[in-house]
Amino acid sequence: MSPGQEPLTAFERNVRTILEEGVQRIDARTRSRLNQARQAALASAQAPRRAPWRSFVLMPAAGAAAAALLLAFTLWHRQPAGELPVLEATHATAEDVDLLADSEALELVEGGDGSFYEWAAAQGDSGASDS
Amino acid sequence: MPAALHGDVDLTDSSAQSRSRALNQFLASVELKAFKIAQAALRHEDDALDAVQDAMLQLARAYAARPPQEWKPLFYRILENRIRDMQRRRTVRGRVIAWLPFRGEDEEDEADPISQAASPEPQPAKRLELEEAMGALEQALGALPRRQRQAFLLRTLEGMDVAETAAAMGCSEGSVKTHYFRAVQSLRAHLGEFYL
Repeated sequence: MSPGQEPLTAFERNVRTILEEGVQRIDARTRSRLNQARQAALASAQAPRRAPWRSFVLMPAAGAAAAALLLAFTLWHRQPAGELPVLEATHATAEDVDLLADSEALELVEGGDGSFYEWAAAQGDSGASDS
Repeated sequence: MPAALHGDVDLTDSSAQSRSRALNQFLASVELKAFKIAQAALRHEDDALDAVQDAMLQLARAYAARPPQEWKPLFYRILENRIRDMQRRRTVRGRVIAWLPFRGEDEEDEADPISQAASPEPQPAKRLELEEAMGALEQALGALPRRQRQAFLLRTLEGMDVAETAAAMGCSEGSVKTHYFRAVQSLRAHLGEFYL
């Protein structure tokens, strides 16, 4: 008897007998499955596995690379979208200012007699007949 | 260059092989009793097999390098954790299934007609008595609180002493004695003083 093991009473001995009988009666199918489980466990213990420290070393590097990629991706997609509308708006504003400042051009476009359009149409017709 | 310098665990040398043999012997010595202990807690054969298999895998993967005398408490501690996880999952699943409107009649626990068929051979009276005793014991064990059942089975079936049982259960030796005493009292009340 090992230390800390007190003698069993008759009741405890009887219960142990029943329990051990139950173990003996475990069927062949269950025994086979337990055997397979044991072999799988032994195989997993024998397979070389990565040392745990590797993941701790590689984790910051992988995190930094992912962050750099994310930053590059964000900047790449943000740059054209932010600048092009500003340039277009600048050009459009400049044209408007020129048109408003040039009173002659405004009169030409808004002329009530339609002479500009007649002249433009005549130019088109003569151009077509010339060719 | 030795594999250890690459950060890999090399188990190809002779000491590793002898350790593997020792682990095989240890697992073979505990697997049947572990299965009965898991079955008493889970009351389901396949779940008990899964729990034992998981415990074996985890012990082999994580603790194979530990001294062999530590394997038994570690193995039973892992097994108990696995059993507890499965019981929790089963409780949650039971709650979810209880809410389903069109649930069937417990399809997973359908009785196997072959195993349920009466054997043509006459059953000896002794065998019947033993089976009745086993059934009564399984029911009484199933009715015990988890820690009491664990302490009782580790000590009675596995034959672990108080210190080993305390290590396996992750508690003090005094707690083991208390759980064990209460388990015996409860089983006596269920099964009778003159059980068998």
